[in-house]
Amino acid sequence: MNADLEKLQESNKTELERRGSIFNIGAPATEAVTIRDQIAVGFGDGTVRFFQSGSDPKTVKAHKGVVLSMTNYEDHVLTGGDDGRFLKISSDGNIEEIFNFGSKWVDCVASHKDTKVCSSGKTVYIWTKNKDKPQTLEHQSTVAGLAFDNKGKRLAVSRYGGVTVWKLNNNKWTASNFTWKGSHGTVTFSPDTKYIVTAMQENQIHGWRINDKADLAMRGYPSKIKSFTWVGDTPYLVTSGSSDAVCWPFDGKEGPMGRKPIVVANCGKELATFVKALNGEKAVFTGFTDGSVLLAEIDESKKPIMIRSSTGSEVSTIAISSDNSQILIGDMKGSILLSSLWADN
Amino acid sequence: MENTSQVPVTVLTGFLGAGKTTLLNRILTEQHGRKYAVIVNEFGEQGIDNDLVVDADEEVFEMNNGCICCTVRGDLIRILSGLMKRADKLDAIIVETTGLADPAPVAQTFFVDQDVADRTKLDAIVTVADAVHLSSQLVDHHEAEEQIAFADVILLNKVELVEDNDIVKVNDRIRKINPFAKIIKTTRCDAPLDEIVGLNAFSLDRVLDIEPDFLESDHDHEHDDDVTSLSFVSDTPLDMDKFQDWFGNLLRTKGQDILRSKGILNFKGEEERYVFQGVHMLMDASPMGPWPKGKDRSSRVVFIGRDLDNMNLKEGFENCKSA
Repeated sequence: MNADLEKLQESNKTELERRGSIFNIGAPATEAVTIRDQIAVGFGDGTVRFFQSGSDPKTVKAHKGVVLSMTNYEDHVLTGGDDGRFLKISSDGNIEEIFNFGSKWVDCVASHKDTKVCSSGKTVYIWTKNKDKPQTLEHQSTVAGLAFDNKGKRLAVSRYGGVTVWKLNNNKWTASNFTWKGSHGTVTFSPDTKYIVTAMQENQIHGWRINDKADLAMRGYPSKIKSFTWVGDTPYLVTSGSSDAVCWPFDGKEGPMGRKPIVVANCGKELATFVKALNGEKAVFTGFTDGSVLLAEIDESKKPIMIRSSTGSEVSTIAISSDNSQILIGDMKGSILLSSLWADN
Repeated sequence: MENTSQVPVTVLTGFLGAGKTTLLNRILTEQHGRKYAVIVNEFGEQGIDNDLVVDADEEVFEMNNGCICCTVRGDLIRILSGLMKRADKLDAIIVETTGLADPAPVAQTFFVDQDVADRTKLDAIVTVADAVHLSSQLVDHHEAEEQIAFADVILLNKVELVEDNDIVKVNDRIRKINPFAKIIKTTRCDAPLDEIVGLNAFSLDRVLDIEPDFLESDHDHEHDDDVTSLSFVSDTPLDMDKFQDWFGNLLRTKGQDILRSKGILNFKGEEERYVFQGVHMLMDASPMGPWPKGKDRSSRVVFIGRDLDNMNLKEGFENCKSA
């Protein structure tokens, strides 16, 4: 590379890129979760790597193919792979196979305290403490998203045609169906557990108010919504899928019904692909199709800050360490930026 | 978007017993130096075991966009997006569908879903037909007709079990349904793989391969719901506005019965050739460079579908001729 170009690129680096570390893994980063002071990242080569400030990542060869899904579980991560394995992995590389589904993929995983959950095909499997055999919950079509509410009493399962919310009573799960035509993917409960929201196969998100099953259709996106995150006390549901981060207000009795979203973090013609709340702040990190990441307050009058410059590959994951000190950004080419969020760290 | 090129996807159809598994085993085991993933159906024939075989469940989803034709394979969207996260690049993906599945939702998935369209492209629809049983299957199962109608390539398999004059009959029967598919006669699906995979049959420039000498067909058939084809040629340039009005309205109102359509068009006042091809009401169209020197600038269109006689296609096409 010519020296001037190198200098120019150096000067185009963001503050976080200058003080952080960049790792080129060479396989798409598929998922990232925080476990205490480490950030675990799943990759398209089947590895899970544990990143920690000041040291090289520890690599665990977990799956044969792609790490499709990942969540944290006590001091471990749970992963699902396209090799049909549902695994519990510790950061020192210890792998426990919870179940092997053979040629069926493990598409989704979830956990709450000591309960481990995964889905393969149309079935959800639930392992509770001290029980070897999982409970199973059947659905009419392939499960595309799993989410517990904050108490672990309800489990939302998204699928074609809507969401099944399972409620745990006396060790038995009972189903309640929320229906909306189309295919539903990633699912989330609002922090106050009054709403559930899904990202659909179409360019829209859909929500229901749980107590009366009232529908909230949030449309107008130019592309599919691959990621959403709850931000601030209002709270806002911030979504990808547009050239901005689209922030829907979920306060009041009606939530976003009949209201317009706030849009922040505009990135020109690039589309947002991943969003992640900055814990405790009314601010969100937004990653884009070109690899750039902006930090923006949920306030249309404020200018966003460039966190990571373009890499040419779409941002596929962002994670923040539990003490809010480190940020990890991963993209589809497998480039990872790990950096301290604050200058004095 | 990503700089990576799109991975070609071959859709493999055919009734149980026609020889799809034989072909899939060849694709997976032959020393061809390429990396193919195969998406099979859970109810399909057994006997394939390989890391790159993925189980699918043929879930057909209706898109929530008001378009009645927009059924897609939801499982395919999920699986293709998973395969695209692999660290090692695939040379091609083969999707097997069961005998009774309608191939349209599979093809439509590549038109309708943006993520799928960004990272993969439909390469060709390949139908394996059993030379012994095809004639009776065409009578008994409309799915068999659709599989022939949709195909870009038809492997007429087990020809060693059929008399020569019966092969001619089966061949003619196929041609009545589908005049543009390439028919390859095989024993144990022994066609070279490069005639099956990597054909780029859905790229618009392949539409130019349509033979210009189709007869303006006047066909006979037994049932109104038979799948047939009709083709039209015009040496008079067409009026672009008239054509767009007619063709747009045709696909909107009759798109469910038109399985595939293709055409090369000579518009009045335009130097370039226009080509299009459609699957039901979804269509792809583009100018495709100037006409070759010294060759006739004739427009030609082909329709494959049901109930074509009641669509006034000939009259509609004639009305598009410029004054």
